[in-house]
Amino acid sequence: MRVLLAVLWKDLLSEWRSRDRVVAMLIFSLLVAVVFHFSLPGGAGARSQAQAPGLLWIAYIFAAVLGLNRAFSVELENDALSGLALVPVDRGYVFLGKALANTAILGVVQAVTAVVFALFFQLDLLPIALPLAGVVALGSLGVTAAGTLFAAVAVRTRFREVMLPLLLLPLLVPVLAGAVRATAALLQGDSAPWDALQLLIVTDAIYWIVSFLGFEYVLDE
Amino acid sequence: MSGALIRGRGLEKRFGRSVALRGVDLDVRAGEALAVVGPNGAGKSTLLRMLAGLVRPSAGTLLLGGIPAGRPGARAQIGLVAHATFLYPQLTARENLLFAGRLHGVAQPEARAARLLEEEGLADAAGRAAGSFSRGMAQRLSIARALMHDPPVLLLDEPFTGLDRRAGDSLCARIRALRAAGRTFLLVTHDLAQAAALADAALVLASGLCVRELRGAELGAAALEQAYALAAGTAR
Repeated sequence: MRVLLAVLWKDLLSEWRSRDRVVAMLIFSLLVAVVFHFSLPGGAGARSQAQAPGLLWIAYIFAAVLGLNRAFSVELENDALSGLALVPVDRGYVFLGKALANTAILGVVQAVTAVVFALFFQLDLLPIALPLAGVVALGSLGVTAAGTLFAAVAVRTRFREVMLPLLLLPLLVPVLAGAVRATAALLQGDSAPWDALQLLIVTDAIYWIVSFLGFEYVLDE
Repeated sequence: MSGALIRGRGLEKRFGRSVALRGVDLDVRAGEALAVVGPNGAGKSTLLRMLAGLVRPSAGTLLLGGIPAGRPGARAQIGLVAHATFLYPQLTARENLLFAGRLHGVAQPEARAARLLEEEGLADAAGRAAGSFSRGMAQRLSIARALMHDPPVLLLDEPFTGLDRRAGDSLCARIRALRAAGRTFLLVTHDLAQAAALADAALVLASGLCVRELRGAELGAAALEQAYALAAGTAR
């Protein structure tokens, strides 16, 4: 647990000092919102509103990929990644710390992006803020678990910027399917369908467990 | 050798089709300092990183205090100082040490960090970001980082690289002081005079093979130069 907290503290403090990751993710997701707003026929009409859940999650996922790439590239400076690999406990705790830090940073970006989408697509998010936050959290946990593992795999490859989305995006299909269905239901005034939530919960559990166990080997050179 | 703190037998490492180590044996007693020398590509750093648990052997066994290298129990016994400092430039010197201390479960990391900063002559720079440090200061902070959990074994991978003469001498004096305190050392270096002066024994590697082992009275700058020249010839 101490390793988890130490890595979480270090990542959030470093990000607070530099703010480079959160700013890049925010600018990117805001640009995506602007592009979608102007590229869809009918502007903020009913058809656009129907597409909003999918578009919102596309913005979330691509912003996450951008941030996850950066999460481990900072560890390459001064070969700090090797320093992390020397922890005298299972390296899975390093994964937990980094994945939770990634989830927190992504959460900030998602909150701002949701507000921008609400403005552009005339969505009333206030009445569903709480259940929507729950669905977004469930989706994000799956994204950051798989994303943190594969960012660590990709960081030592030659084409890491390209490698991460190639490895990660196929794995995010179940997360995207569950999260978009649940978000769409909430935006239509219904409750989130249980089967979509189940899909998210099971996917999250699998990704967190596999990533925790696999991280010991991922940090080997 | 009986009672070896570090014991390696038949160590091999392959990276795809290239072979970095070919059946190296290794024995280091507690409190002993072993220098590992050899031309570029000899497998020195691979051997050291194998000891640190960063690289898994393709074949052979490597034990630290009876525990296979790479296991958490073996990693706890290791402090690693390399050319790269493992420091986070956005964090201050003190925060870098606190982070290392927390990773290793040091009981009172603040007090330990303050003492090590004092010992390394960095107390005045404790609140400065590590990214603003000179190469010499960063290397001293890197040593403090490696010593945060008071490991019995210190691995030094070309620690003098990039240091000016004054910083190199200062690092040398620091290593001697740590040696006198009974710590076990493995030093990878290209500086044969420093290796002969600091170590009790030397392993000369070439193309992943151990071509010579020098111990005790055999180990001198001239003998090491000769063995190194032979190794460089073998590598060619």
